This record gives sequence, structure tokens and C-alpha cells, in this order.
Amino acid sequence: MNKFTMRVAKFEIMRQLKKPAFWAATLLIPFMIGLIYFVSFVTSAHVEEEPAFDENSKIAIIDDAGVLSKRVPYLVHDDKDKGIEMVKNGEVDYYFYIPADFAENKKAEFYHISEGLEIFNNDASILNAIMTQDAASRVDALDVIALTNGYEIVDNKLTKDGSDANALGKAIIPFFIGIVFFMFIALCGNRFLLTVVEEKENRISEMILTSISSKHLIVGKIIALLVLGLIQVVVLVVPVLLLIFANCDNAFISGILSSIEIDPISITLSIILFIASSVFYAGVCTFVGSLVSTARDASSFIGPAIIVMVLPLYFMSLFMATEPNFIVQFFTYFPFSAPIALMLRNGFGTISIPEFCIGIGVVIVSSVIAIRLAITTFQKNAINFNIAKPKFLRGRK
Amino acid sequence: MLFTILKLFHFTPPPPCYNRPMKNMIDVNHFKMTFDGKTVIKDLSFTVKKGEIFGLLGANGSGKTTTIRALLGFYTPTGGELLIDGAKYNPENTKVTVGYLPEERGLYRKENVIDTMLYFGELKGIKDPLEWSRRYLKRVGLADKETEKIEKLSGGQQQKIQLGITIMNDPKLLILDEPTKGFDPMNRRLLMEIIEEHHKKGASIIMITHYMDEVERFCDRALLLKDGTARAYGTIKEIKQEFGGKSLDQIFVDVYGGDYE
Repeated sequence: MNKFTMRVAKFEIMRQLKKPAFWAATLLIPFMIGLIYFVSFVTSAHVEEEPAFDENSKIAIIDDAGVLSKRVPYLVHDDKDKGIEMVKNGEVDYYFYIPADFAENKKAEFYHISEGLEIFNNDASILNAIMTQDAASRVDALDVIALTNGYEIVDNKLTKDGSDANALGKAIIPFFIGIVFFMFIALCGNRFLLTVVEEKENRISEMILTSISSKHLIVGKIIALLVLGLIQVVVLVVPVLLLIFANCDNAFISGILSSIEIDPISITLSIILFIASSVFYAGVCTFVGSLVSTARDASSFIGPAIIVMVLPLYFMSLFMATEPNFIVQFFTYFPFSAPIALMLRNGFGTISIPEFCIGIGVVIVSSVIAIRLAITTFQKNAINFNIAKPKFLRGRK
Repeated sequence: MLFTILKLFHFTPPPPCYNRPMKNMIDVNHFKMTFDGKTVIKDLSFTVKKGEIFGLLGANGSGKTTTIRALLGFYTPTGGELLIDGAKYNPENTKVTVGYLPEERGLYRKENVIDTMLYFGELKGIKDPLEWSRRYLKRVGLADKETEKIEKLSGGQQQKIQLGITIMNDPKLLILDEPTKGFDPMNRRLLMEIIEEHHKKGASIIMITHYMDEVERFCDRALLLKDGTARAYGTIKEIKQEFGGKSLDQIFVDVYGGDYE
């Protein structure tokens, strides 16, 4: 990396880190989260969560281990796969399979139709309830309780059409990265603009540009801003993650955590997209900042750009469709909307890897163009201290 | 005797300016500049020799700052070429270090004095920017303002900081756009002393000023601009001779006549 770029980046990072306003803005949201958590912790009553056991539910149990007595009404004497078929056909809602090696492995299997992201699903505990009821009515109750104590139920989600039953579980991490990007936009946009406009507002661009080129100034600033944005996001995300892991025993949180399925390709592409999108956003902001001469003028330009970037969120339902329509395709390949459109489609699993790579390519190429434009425009407009609007938007005299 | 022998080998002896050879630091050839159809510079050619102090003179709006900005690459000339040491200026790829004190005064207002100077010191690649900055601040009477925010300083104090930033890397070419504007006589003298020191170290200096006494005292040569063309150009002595031995002040008034802005 060029030494001038690094010097600019270091200066910009250090001066921002020294500002109380930076830390006030960075710590405000974690403080609010902590406050809300504390208030809810102090005021809320502890509620025991009862297992959801609908009396009308159709249940089937295949017990190859012989743990349950023959009086249990849900017992089916068939092979394991028959039970799975019954779930898919809708003959039963819940199917439990107790394998012959249950006593050694302490594992039972649970099959049901996926209802999406089932963070409140306690259905697996139905088997507990059945076993407990059954044991209570038996003479060898103590043996049964000892046998069934501390066993694990492996939750197997099924779909009627054979599609991925845990699609939303796979989407959690890509969506999380999408949320981080959204926070990045919200937190850093103003700073991206101000930092470029500052040289012009302070009439300092001429002195700077006789020491270094506009290329190294702009690239140095972008690097600094990305680092600062990352610091802000980390400060924001780490307390949230700590809170989540501190409350793993909470049904809601454990439901989310247990649903998370790590898809390495999807996550890698999401990270690449996040980096490319952040650079693109930084490039657009610095370009806008280099076009105008004051922060106030810049903010009126960046507003529409942010609206276009987040526009795909308003059409979220369209992004869930496996067959993308024209609007989705447009958002996917239009540079401003591509970051969030791609994150949504990646999250919902409605984009193929080649399509995703093309989308990332569009964002990367657009980033390079935006940065090149920012560099050229900054050099050209460095001494236009009084222009409120770019030339093409100014009226004729 | 020595010069006679040298002349045989076509060697021109150096002019009496601190005994340095006078080559061109700046070449401006047929420079034209048009903004929105309005011609600001018509056809301007001049040179600034290495080691000299050159006065760029003219009324407000005559094109002095435009010429300097085109020279430093802020404007693309409509025609002609502007060269520093034989090449178009590129701040990171030039043998000639340039210090430019622009007409538009400004610094990072929210930063303190020493941080600002350190930043520029690092950008300009000087060895010990902290030591240099402290020495300079002491010299210009601002040692106690080291940790003060720039915005808390007076205009004159800020200008001293700007001059410090301009000269901190011992530039070989110093371009000063009205360096003493708004200074009291004491500080004006101090700044001119500092500028002279750099000249003695071998720097070429272009000075844009409206103070004709400064031009007469410090400049080797000068160029008087009017309506985008050179109305007078040469050594101070030559310019005076051309205008019948008048003072520079009087020449300025004669050239501009009643053209008040």
C-alpha cells in the first residue's frame, strides 16, 4: 500500500478516534440495548414455558428399543421410513423414532413438517410428556425413568415438496451480515460525506493536493472510513452477541441458535458482498462529497442514493420467490440496489452462485468506477469552494 | 581571465544570484485559459529561473492565481503548457519539492496546531516533523499554542501555521500567494526573513503580492499581468527602464489606469 495513502488513513482514523462525538455515536446504541435489556430483566416476571402439546395433534411413535409400554396409543408397528412417509403425506403431524440402540446412545429422532424458522417450537418435548405419563403407570417406573433420563431428541424437519426444510436457518447468518451492512450505511454515511467535503469547506484542498495526489488522498480516506465503520459496527455487534450467548438457555434464543445452519459458500459470498458493498457505498459518498462544496449540499444528494440502496427491502416478498421476476432481476444487477438485493436473495436462497457472482462483479466494478470518479472530481473541484451544486444541476444564467 | 577561457567553451557564467546557475524552474509557454467561454489568460509565456525570486503582479482578477493553479494541475489549460523543472507537476512524482501557500487560507479548524503540522510533515516526508514544528512555532512566537485548536487562533496566527506547513520540507520551489496579506509590520518582516532564508538555501520563489515595496526589495524579476497578457516582464530594472524609470507603484497605476474593480 502506498505510504501517502497510509499516512492519510492513519491521520483520519486517529483524529476520529480522538473525537468524543465519535464514541458518543458509537456507544449510544449498545448503551440503549443494554438499558432496554436491564429494564426488561428487572420488570419482567419469570414465565415457565409449557410444552406445546395439542391434544388434537396426530402423533406416531415407532419404538424399536421397546422403551414404551404397549398401552401408549401412538405406537405404530412399522419400519422407520414408513413414519417419515406418514409425516410427508400428512397422515401424522409428529413422528418420533426410538432406535434399538436408544439405551446406549440416548438419542431419539423427531420428524415433522417445517413451519419455517421455528424459534418457539417445543414440539420435541411431546415425547418427554408421553414417556413421563407412561412411566407413571408402570411398575418398573424407576427403570424407565433411569433409561429415559437425559436423552437427546434429534429434530428432523421435513417438507412436503422435498425442498430445504431449514432454509431460514441457513439464512440467519447471511441476513445478519445484511443487517450489519444496513447499520454500516446508517452509521457511516454522514461521516463519508463530511470527510471529503471538509478539505473544501476548510479551504485546505490546495495545500493538500500540492503534497499528495487526489488518488492517495481519497483512497486513504476511504480506507480510514471503512476501518472506522468496522470499529463502530464491532462495538455495536459484540455486546449483542455477548447478550445472546449469555442467554443461551432462553427458549427464544436457543431456538434461533439451534436453527442456524452454516452454509460456507453462502457465508463466504455474503462476506465478499459486504466488503464490496461497503467500498461501493464509500465510493459513492466520497464521489458525492467531491462534487459539492458543503456538507449540507452533500446530504441532499446522498439521501436519494440511500433510498435506492434500501429500496429492495420494500419489495422483500418478491425476493422470496424461487423464480425471480423483472423487478428482482433489476434490483439484483442495478449497482445501487444490488448490495441489499443480493443479500436478500442470498439469505432466502433464491439466487444461484453464478448469478450471485455476477451481482458481486457489478458491485465491484461500480465501486472502482465510483472511486475513480471521486478522485477525478475531487481534483477538478478541489478549488471550487463556492459551488453549491454540480455544474450540470445549476441553472443557466 | 577564467571567464574568458570558459567562454571559449561556450560556458555562460552564472548571474550574480548567490552564485548558482540560473536554469528554468518554471516554463510557461503560450498558456491560454478559458472559463465558460470567457478568456481569462490569452497567451502567456514566461520563465522562472532556478534560484530567483519572481514577482507575479497584477490587479485582482488579472489571472495570477489562475496561472499558479494551472501550473500545479488544478486547472487543465485551454492551450499551451506549464512545466515545473521541465515536466508537468505531479506532487508524488517530481524531483522538485513544491511549497504552496494559496490565496485561500484554511486549515483543519477542529484540529490542534501540532497534530495538523505533524500530519503535513508526514505527508511531505520530513524526518522529524515534531522537532521541526516545535522549532518553527517557537520562532514565530506560537510555542504556547501547540495544543490549541486552529479555530481558536487569530487569522495572522493561522497564516503563520500555514506558512510553516508550506516551507517545512525545504521546498525547491516556493509559491506564495499574498504571503504577508493582513500582517502587521513586525510579522511581515519576520515572514519575509523566513522567505529570504529559503531563498538563500537555493529555493526558487514565486511571490504574488500587491505590495510593490516587497517586489522592489526581494524580487529578481517580475511579470505584470493585465487582461490575461503580460504587460511588463523582466528584471525590476528592465521593467522600470521600459516605463521611463518610474516606480513600480506608478507603473502599476499607469498600466491599470482607471480600471478599478
